[in-house]
Amino acid sequence: MSSSPLRQRPALLRISMVALLLLWSLAPMLWQLYTSLRTPESLLAGLAGLGGGWTLANYSAVLQADPPFGVYLLNSTVVGALSTLLTLALAIPCAYALSRRSDLLKLVIGGGLLAAAVFPYVLLFLALLQVARQLGLANNLLALCLPYAGLSLPLAVLLLQAAFADLPVELEENALLEGFSLGQRLRWILLPLIGPAVVSTGLLVFLFSWNEFPIALTWLSRSELLTLAPAMARIAGSSVFTVPHGAFAAATVLGGVPLLALLLIFQRQIVAGLTQGAIKG
Amino acid sequence: MINTIASGAGPTGDLRLEALNRRIAGRQILAGIDLAVAPGECLALLGPSGCGKSTILRLIAGLDRPDGGRILLAGRDITALPPGRRQVAMVFQSYALYPHLSVERNLLLGMELRGVPRQQRQQEADRVLSMLQLESFRSRRPSELSGGQRQRVALARALLRRPQVFLLDEPMSNLDAQLREELRPQLRAILCGGEAPVIYVTHDQQEAMGIADRIAVLQNGRLQQCGTPQELYTNPANVVVASFIGRPQINLLDRGDGSLLGIRPEHLQAVEDGGVAVRVLSREWHGASQQLTVASPHGDLRWTTSGAEPINDQLRLGWQLQHELRFDLATGLRC
Amino acid sequence: MSLLLMAPALLLLLAVFFWPMLDYAWLSLQAQTVFTGLKPVPVGLANWERLLGDGRFWQDAAQTLRFAVVSVGLELLLGLAIALLLHQSWRGRGLVRSLSLLPWALPTTVMALGWRWILNDPNGPINGVMQSLGLPSLPFLASTQLAWLGVVLADTWKTTPFVALLLLAGLQMIPTDLYEAFALEGGRPWQGLRRITLPLLRPYVLIALIFRLAQALGVFDLVAVLTGGGPASSTETLALYAYLNAMRFLDFGYSATVMLGMFVLLLASALLLVLAQQRWQGARP
Repeated sequence: MSSSPLRQRPALLRISMVALLLLWSLAPMLWQLYTSLRTPESLLAGLAGLGGGWTLANYSAVLQADPPFGVYLLNSTVVGALSTLLTLALAIPCAYALSRRSDLLKLVIGGGLLAAAVFPYVLLFLALLQVARQLGLANNLLALCLPYAGLSLPLAVLLLQAAFADLPVELEENALLEGFSLGQRLRWILLPLIGPAVVSTGLLVFLFSWNEFPIALTWLSRSELLTLAPAMARIAGSSVFTVPHGAFAAATVLGGVPLLALLLIFQRQIVAGLTQGAIKG
Repeated sequence: MINTIASGAGPTGDLRLEALNRRIAGRQILAGIDLAVAPGECLALLGPSGCGKSTILRLIAGLDRPDGGRILLAGRDITALPPGRRQVAMVFQSYALYPHLSVERNLLLGMELRGVPRQQRQQEADRVLSMLQLESFRSRRPSELSGGQRQRVALARALLRRPQVFLLDEPMSNLDAQLREELRPQLRAILCGGEAPVIYVTHDQQEAMGIADRIAVLQNGRLQQCGTPQELYTNPANVVVASFIGRPQINLLDRGDGSLLGIRPEHLQAVEDGGVAVRVLSREWHGASQQLTVASPHGDLRWTTSGAEPINDQLRLGWQLQHELRFDLATGLRC
Repeated sequence: MSLLLMAPALLLLLAVFFWPMLDYAWLSLQAQTVFTGLKPVPVGLANWERLLGDGRFWQDAAQTLRFAVVSVGLELLLGLAIALLLHQSWRGRGLVRSLSLLPWALPTTVMALGWRWILNDPNGPINGVMQSLGLPSLPFLASTQLAWLGVVLADTWKTTPFVALLLLAGLQMIPTDLYEAFALEGGRPWQGLRRITLPLLRPYVLIALIFRLAQALGVFDLVAVLTGGGPASSTETLALYAYLNAMRFLDFGYSATVMLGMFVLLLASALLLVLAQQRWQGARP
């Protein structure tokens, strides 16, 4: 026996805690997966009918609906990618300029950004909707990037500004002495060095635009243009299925898988982004 | 052995600082600095922390703007020029090597962005790499290099620019004592004596004495004295210079008549009679020399003498009149 | 030059955050409904008078506050427990940490649909477990008393990982020397938690609190899809009410008023929180 019972107990405790954590985190989604593969009858029968009643019909129903589910995923991807690019394009110069200042304006802007980052943006939906209607931006996936970028900017600028500020000043000073222009400094020295922060920030922006609901809900009405979030709401409100839970579950799984994949692939960067946000906040 | 001299390209001239002033957050960092450095001359800016020496460097580089005064390079007023247009190269205390690039890329990037043709770029890079014996490191990242190697890369990068002025900001402070002693003559051989003036900031007076042709001693933003190491040693203009130059520090005794008597530890001698009666308090033996602290009626004195000299607990110390330095007690100036 | 670099971002920010407030201020003084042909008609403070006497508004405010306080409180407790668990180093920690982020990464509306089924009476798994234990099944989402708990559960599930990660960041900033010195002086682990960990975590707890409270008070996505505000408006939140006023009742002026009212309440809560924090900081040595 290598370890005494006394030392085994904390390990046992820890394992059970971890198991609990995983159960808590994954169970709801796993349940959706299970539900999505069951026929409507077997769902109503409860655990009794576990032997049979497996089907892929729910998935085909959702994937071949009108419009097919894949369209929503595509829309969300397009909006997400464009929003991320736009946000970064605006945030990087702003963050750079902010990081090189140390005056009252910086404090004011910094404070404003912090307030905006905490602000529940759902409150903005009506005014933004009116703008959309007046400018004819409704039902336009490209136009949606504008409010999305605006809403993501506070966090993006704060994160990137901290990243710029972390770089040793002398690196840029030497580049200045070597005669590099601002564009050259950003392109060759600064941006490569804050690369991880840019990636993390971009991922957080991307996740935000996939998650965003009220603005997409009010700006998009044509079903083939819906992004994932309002599409799920519309599916939830639909009465096409008599026992809808299987189909709903299939939709949930299909909607969740891309993000699960993203999470697992970029786990380090996402965690780093959130952690940095916490520390700098 | 590194023994090639940096060669400048194009007209180089001297560097002049006229009445430079700089005030930051209410504090006068520099007050009326006047300096002139000839082409190829190596001037050391020496002084304690906060004396303004690094500020002068930054003003010359253009990383900071003076509140008053002018900076002239080869007769051209560069005071208002942005840093990139001044043709100034600087070796930072931290070396400021681009961490994400290899040694070779660190050297090539500047030339590439200045539009130097590829073949010439490579030739120049190879030239300085071999000059500083860095060839075997060309593909390494800065993080894989030792302090001394990084310093050489920073030097190489500066040399490539063929600048009109070389600025060095305490480039040895991150290196250990032995390495510093080894590199001092090498640094001097590479930089000084070329066509561009060299300004070297340090707080280590031994380093300044070893490397520089002339030393400018600064304190509280004011120039105390500027001259060759010998001049500063034998003819200090005031107490500040006398105290800063020479190790261990000069002994200052109050004469009681409003003046101070300065006598350097190395100028004290054991005498049979005459002089001052002293009692040995502590003793550090360093082989060739030894340093002692002795108690005298005038206070504690520092005494440096040969390592071979036998020491009694009580003895008498005297000195030659020619080594005496007198300073006014109130102003600190030499009288 | 530096201002030029900041200008585009700042302009967009002003347009997105600042202008709506001005717009609402103006709109709250108008009546813009079907009865006015959807054209704005100035009505002075009529909307505001209506707001003050609107039972549904205040009911929703109370419900929203109750939801926010309970939800955020649970998240902080659970988040701290999770953070402590993830702070120790053990094999597979990184993977578990990422997997525990899944709830946060999933869009709210996606999972809300899932929660409808999980909380379903009588076929959902929770009721399934309760029935197999011999307990009666609870009509979570159909009961005006219990529905809000379903919302709390779903919200806690989604945002606890975020809080946990924030607190974990804070835990990682605490130097281990402190614990070692404490242990040398004879301190026990639980005491260490109280004396060292919690005080040093305070700024992070505060950040998490402010962030989550603001978001929870504005909760919309979850409620819209999970319960629609029902049953009988028992889970209706202020944000949802504002939305309904605009999109269903087509009463834009009043919707703006509701949102400004929400904003005022938010500011008031923030102020109270800041004052409470000052007292808390000042009271302890």
